[in-house]
Amino acid sequence: MPKMVFIKPDGSRQEVEAPAGLSILEIAHRNGIDIEGACEGQMACATCHVIVDAEWDPRLPEPSEDEEDMLDLAIGVTETSRLGCQIVVTEALDGLTVRLPAETRNMLLV
Amino acid sequence: MSDASADTALPIFLDYQATTPTDPRVVEAMLPYFNEHFGNPHSVHHLYGRDASDAVERARADIAALIGAEAREVVFTSGATESNNLAIKGACRFLRDRKRHLITLASEHKCVLESARRMEAEGYRVTLLDPGPDGLLDPARLAAAIEADTALVSVMAVNNEIGVIQPLAEIGALCRERGVLFHSDAAQAAGKIPLDVNAMAIDLLSLSGHKMYGPKGIGALYVRRRPRVRLEPLFDGGGQERGHRSGTLPAPLCVGLGKAAEIALGEMAAESERLARFNARFRTLLSEGLEDVQVNGALDPRFPGNLNVSFPGLEAEALIAALPALAVSTGSACTSASVEPSYVLRSLGLPDARARGGLRIGFGRFTTVDEIERAAAILVAAVRRLRGQASAAAE
Repeated sequence: MPKMVFIKPDGSRQEVEAPAGLSILEIAHRNGIDIEGACEGQMACATCHVIVDAEWDPRLPEPSEDEEDMLDLAIGVTETSRLGCQIVVTEALDGLTVRLPAETRNMLLV
Repeated sequence: MSDASADTALPIFLDYQATTPTDPRVVEAMLPYFNEHFGNPHSVHHLYGRDASDAVERARADIAALIGAEAREVVFTSGATESNNLAIKGACRFLRDRKRHLITLASEHKCVLESARRMEAEGYRVTLLDPGPDGLLDPARLAAAIEADTALVSVMAVNNEIGVIQPLAEIGALCRERGVLFHSDAAQAAGKIPLDVNAMAIDLLSLSGHKMYGPKGIGALYVRRRPRVRLEPLFDGGGQERGHRSGTLPAPLCVGLGKAAEIALGEMAAESERLARFNARFRTLLSEGLEDVQVNGALDPRFPGNLNVSFPGLEAEALIAALPALAVSTGSACTSASVEPSYVLRSLGLPDARARGGLRIGFGRFTTVDEIERAAAILVAAVRRLRGQASAAAE
């Protein structure tokens, strides 16, 4: 079973089981990690914005234009930002580490 | 557009690099959006807003077509100065965690150089490359300057003082290969030479309305979407232009910029050819009347609407004072104590005397053959007078 690590805004790390085939958003919800996911994975809210560890970012598949468009609107977007609802865990991503931004903005409400 | 004759007070306008008159067709296109279709283009809930918005989006598409971009990649700004600030500061600040170096040319416009200086104050390293004596950047020199943490290269497409055209496609390919963003200030190039952001691998491009027969007070910044280029915005506010540039869009100015772009795209080839003939004719008339005319900057590749000449022994300021019938410029800055020679001409390695002598002459859409002939005669006469020779009839 792959594992992944969430680094929370306060700096604490939580390692969780990350079954292959689930998205980062789904894994977060299963483990009580505070990612809103207001639009339930439709790329419409940007609340699942995560900052992927620099070492892991190149190993992820490229984002779609729609994902990039939503990331443009996320608070504190960085070079390695992604939407957690769009990244599906695989065996190859065992150990994937992401950081949660300090704040998010729900684009459904803007 | 001045109707100048030898007897009237209006000089012959030959300063098209400083600014251009707004094309009457552009003015006509803009007018309805001032007090007829006057809605705020962001007022999506009523017809006034939607009408204005539709017009702005048509203009955006026309601007994109001029440079081979998609409409969504065009951000409206107040002009090329703002676009250059947004591109350089915005891109570098976004990359601040990983990249701390930027490269530009010593002959760039002040707003590029000053933006680079600001980044230096924020802890970035700036490399200022010298162009060659012809004004052109040697791509090998650029390649040697790129480092592992270079964020951005900024090279203007057409120089505002000497009109030379930089090797954009080569620079773009090099930057793409090395993973560095390529920004080009195209204020003097857009609508005048063909530009293709994909063929030239340009990531960010600035353009200016009043340099291309559009209205004053509007410009645009092209921001590449694939691969996505991100910028830290300069303004906070309503998040217009997809967060890139907050502020209500000035619909009439946007419409004017779009119309100017549409006209330029259609007329560029014919206009270029006409300007090339004018440029050649003007130089012929100068060399027939004078010995020792120095052209500053390569004649090819150069935008034909620009000429920059020095006359050994003469300072440009003195020459301009002797040319009340011509509207030309020196491209040099005046300080209270002395006249600074043009920093652009100095960056070419020209000696101070020649840099101090540079006269910038600009031809444009409304220049006539008659104006070229008369202006050349006036200039030849003034140079001879200043050189102490009698003004003679044609030999």
